[in-house]
Amino acid sequence: MSGRGTAADRLLGTYRPLGSWVEAWPVGVKYLVLLGVTLPCFLAQRWWLTGAALLVTAALLLAARIPARRALGVTGGLVALIAGLALYQGLIQGFWLDGARGPALGAAAVHGLVLGGNLLVAIWAARLVTMTTPSPVLVDALVRGVGPLRRLGFPAERFGLAVHVMLRSIPYLMGSFASIRQAAAARGLERRVGPQVAQVAVRAVAYAQATGDAMAARGLGDEGRA
Amino acid sequence: MAAPGAADAAIRLDGVTVAVAVDPEGAAGSGTKVLLDDVTVTLAERRIAVIGPNGSGKSTFLRLLNGLVRPTAGTVSVAGFDTARSVAEVRRRVGFVFTDPMAQLLMPTAAEDIELSLRRVGLERRARRARALALLEEWGLARIALSSVYDLSGGERQLVALISVLASGPSVVVADEPTTLLDLRNSVRLRAAFAGLEQQVIVATHDLEWALGFDRVLVIQDGRVAFDGAAADGVAWYRGSVGQGGVWERGEILRCAQDDRRRGQGDRGGEL
Repeated sequence: MSGRGTAADRLLGTYRPLGSWVEAWPVGVKYLVLLGVTLPCFLAQRWWLTGAALLVTAALLLAARIPARRALGVTGGLVALIAGLALYQGLIQGFWLDGARGPALGAAAVHGLVLGGNLLVAIWAARLVTMTTPSPVLVDALVRGVGPLRRLGFPAERFGLAVHVMLRSIPYLMGSFASIRQAAAARGLERRVGPQVAQVAVRAVAYAQATGDAMAARGLGDEGRA
Repeated sequence: MAAPGAADAAIRLDGVTVAVAVDPEGAAGSGTKVLLDDVTVTLAERRIAVIGPNGSGKSTFLRLLNGLVRPTAGTVSVAGFDTARSVAEVRRRVGFVFTDPMAQLLMPTAAEDIELSLRRVGLERRARRARALALLEEWGLARIALSSVYDLSGGERQLVALISVLASGPSVVVADEPTTLLDLRNSVRLRAAFAGLEQQVIVATHDLEWALGFDRVLVIQDGRVAFDGAAADGVAWYRGSVGQGGVWERGEILRCAQDDRRRGQGDRGGEL
């Protein structure tokens, strides 16, 4: 379990009251900033826009008085993931779509870098919300946001909790993968990726079951009782 | 059945069987595996321990009390409320503490998780926050209120899980092996916390020393209540049934494995 704490803190972070002006923003404003910073980057795919968004989110995180390492740091695994995706997208764009010769290769490299940068923008912007807002406030805001849909029978309370639990599950799964890799390495099986992935999937299902049980046992998510 | 209410505060299991479907080509030829078999008990004592081997049905028994598991046959009622039909009423009365607190703690920090429990009480957010902090203060845990649950010790996590359960004001606390993952110091700490509860406490445990301090002990074996009585008698009976006379030889270890396999291939056994 211990490894999950580190992962949890490093990916989306944990709220700690720091009394900054960013923290004082209404949660709705934070959600708008999150969308306003990330969506244009993913839609436009321009390096200068991605660069600007990285600067803005980094400045806001630091303005929120979050220590730079917590605010901006990314784990080695995440760097590898982003790099892998950027490389893959760059290759797809460069070799298969654009022909892969001369200037096209440079464009493909930029495309890959922009994609990686956009993912980093999304992570930092998400941290701006999760590290400056207590979780109950986030859940309340989500529930309020979809509240009007209650008239159509939409389970707003359950939706808010489900989104929160989904976010909570990411660091758990990352920690799971790390511990399974360690267990495999201890048996000299670190190169056999298939069984490790299968084991992560099995643990994910067990985790979902346990989380569902925990919520049910606490009577959470039943509409009309919250 | 008596009308629901405080006058009928006991928990009653009447002819309860829990069976699950299994692969017909697997362990059970019948296609079902019986986890609990025709259990009838009334649980009225303030402190009840449930002991028994792994896979005997203890967890299934406890989960029935909170409505997490529904009986295949028979009925379970809490204060007159049927656990299959009045789940919300039952869960309002029966809090459940899991073995692994990390499966139970749903929020990033201790205070926030307790706040989460208070959502169903209907308190406004600031009131929830104040109540959560007050509860942590009462338990001497104010300093960890804002700590990530990942950074807490095992004992602190389990205490926070217990406080989260208590926050919504249950009259019964059911705990499934709450000390199993704890070291000695934290185990003693948690046992003391349970000892101080005013609620009815029903605990499954492998800690026989702890079980000796309860008002009543149920021994569950092979899906049945094999012993039901005073704590000292129950623990002695269980020890005798296991044959805890000294260090096992290899032959006894093999016999134990054969017994387990026989139970798995039969029509009962297995813990949820």
